[in-house]
Amino acid sequence: MTVEATKYVDLGRSAGSAATALRRALIHVAIFVTIITVWEYASHVGHLNPLILPAPSNVAQAMYELYFVTGTIYRHFFVTMYEAVAGFFIGGVIGLSLAVGAALNQTFRRYIAPYAVVFNVTPAIAVTPIIIAWFGFGWSSKIALAALIVFFPVFVNTLSGFLRVNPDAEEMFRSLGASKMRTFFKLMVPDAAPIIMAGFKVGMTGALIGAIVAEFAAASEGIGFLMQRFSFHLDISSSIAVLLSMSIMGLILFTLMEALDATLIFWKRDSRLPAISQKRARRFRKQMTALAAQ
Amino acid sequence: MAAVLKSEARAAVDAAARPNVLEGERVTKRFSETVVALEDATFSVPEGSFVSLVGPSGCGKSTLLRMVAGLIPMTSGTLAVRGEEVKAPRTDVGMMFQKATLLDWRTAVENVLLPTELAGRTTDADRKRAIELLHLVGLEDFEFAFPRQLSGGMQQRVSLARLLQTGADILLLDEPFGALDEFTRERMNIELLRIVDGIGATVLFVTHNIAEAIFLADQVMVMTPRPGRLAKVVDVPFARPREIDLITTAEFNEIVAEVRGILGGH
Ligand SMILES: Nc1ncnc2c1ncn2[C@@H]1O[C@H](COP(=O)(O)OP(=O)(O)OP(=O)(O)O)[C@@H](O)[C@H]1O
Ligand SMILES: [Mg+2]
Repeated sequence: MTVEATKYVDLGRSAGSAATALRRALIHVAIFVTIITVWEYASHVGHLNPLILPAPSNVAQAMYELYFVTGTIYRHFFVTMYEAVAGFFIGGVIGLSLAVGAALNQTFRRYIAPYAVVFNVTPAIAVTPIIIAWFGFGWSSKIALAALIVFFPVFVNTLSGFLRVNPDAEEMFRSLGASKMRTFFKLMVPDAAPIIMAGFKVGMTGALIGAIVAEFAAASEGIGFLMQRFSFHLDISSSIAVLLSMSIMGLILFTLMEALDATLIFWKRDSRLPAISQKRARRFRKQMTALAAQ
Repeated sequence: MAAVLKSEARAAVDAAARPNVLEGERVTKRFSETVVALEDATFSVPEGSFVSLVGPSGCGKSTLLRMVAGLIPMTSGTLAVRGEEVKAPRTDVGMMFQKATLLDWRTAVENVLLPTELAGRTTDADRKRAIELLHLVGLEDFEFAFPRQLSGGMQQRVSLARLLQTGADILLLDEPFGALDEFTRERMNIELLRIVDGIGATVLFVTHNIAEAIFLADQVMVMTPRPGRLAKVVDVPFARPREIDLITTAEFNEIVAEVRGILGGH
């Protein structure tokens, strides 16, 4: 059920010389250019129906208009981004708090577990109509659906992260006579952090899905609403342009999460260790001299 | 080199002069009806002595150590440290586990300071001592390295420094160097002896290796499995400090044969 913490390997990237890297980059470009060219060519000779699949140049044109001529995209883009991020925080805080409670209290865990299971097997997206009935057509229903989708991965990962804390380390803390409080903050939290973070990363993607799906169902603004308006008018070029904007939004949110992950869970990334090690050394020496000066 | 034997009489005086810091009487641990991890172990450990526990896998060595450390309760019997019944972990008893169990997010010195931090406030003196201990275990220049930047042997050294930082003088070591290669292990053992002699600690040391058990110890507790029992306590009468070529002497190999005989008879 848990989403495993990232293995911290760069997929598709491997060690190699600069020449290899350059060659790989060129191959990527070549493949992309070939596909686009073939697609463009097929559209022009009439193999593809532009109403179904418009040529890449049409999509580019639509994209250009959305961003630089009419500028319609920005408002919708930020509305959806706001809904997704707000839902992420709300769902994340609730999921995290309940999981901490369940991790620390066995009774609470026992009684909350069945609900968590039912919750998990119910497709969250199917709740959309009810959520709209409850929260209305505005932002709040989008935020609510996003939060609902974020909740589960955060809850499950946080709980299992805490329940799977290294038993050897736990015994070591016990042998040192550590209090519950100190064990929680100095062992459980950092030890579970990679798995918790993985839950938040999945949650962030889910938040975006939740916000967009709720916009599909009923909305007057947002990127999902925009997409629907274009496709109702069979303006597939603009629809694809909006879709690409959703990818951009997804990439922005994902990159933010990755950066946060790299900062918080620094010890899983060998390349960051030397710099942090030096920083810690400086801090330690400063503490020593500060105390020595007193 | 000929082994220097302490005379029987001298050894007896030594032991009598030192009080027992650890006393176990018919210590028994059952995990279930059928799993008897340790049965009726009776033993005593004099202050400042080095005692090895040797025996095959599953004979209850770790279980015994964890009971002494106050980490798990026993089923029956009595167990006392410095005359007080063991009920919970004590500050004068420290344990080092088979795995280094360092915290990956802390530098070496921050790991060594963990016991201090868990006990209360960290002072300048604590920091100084942590650095000194890292130097003592041979980790100059690695005080601020993260565990992932250290080799397995170096991680065990950090773990040893952390144990010493607790200030405990009864040290329970559960196969501390079991995961290391032969050369590193030999070197670590010699350093360990030097360190514990320096602080006058009492040591309970678990190992699978008979020669290692004898080389390090004043007494070897030989244990046998199913159910876990303390079969015999063998005295090791060689004087200290010991040199590594002790293990090639006839006297040494006699003791190896004796221990092997006890283990083989089961
Ligand atoms: N928590 C536990 N629950 C149930 N049985 C246990 C538990 N811990 C140990 N045992 C059992 O108790 C017996 C003794 O285990 P112990 O770990 O003390 O052996 P050991 O001598 O340390 O072995 P090794 O050399 O492999 O470390 C074994 O049969 C083991 O299966
Ligand atoms: Mg063991």
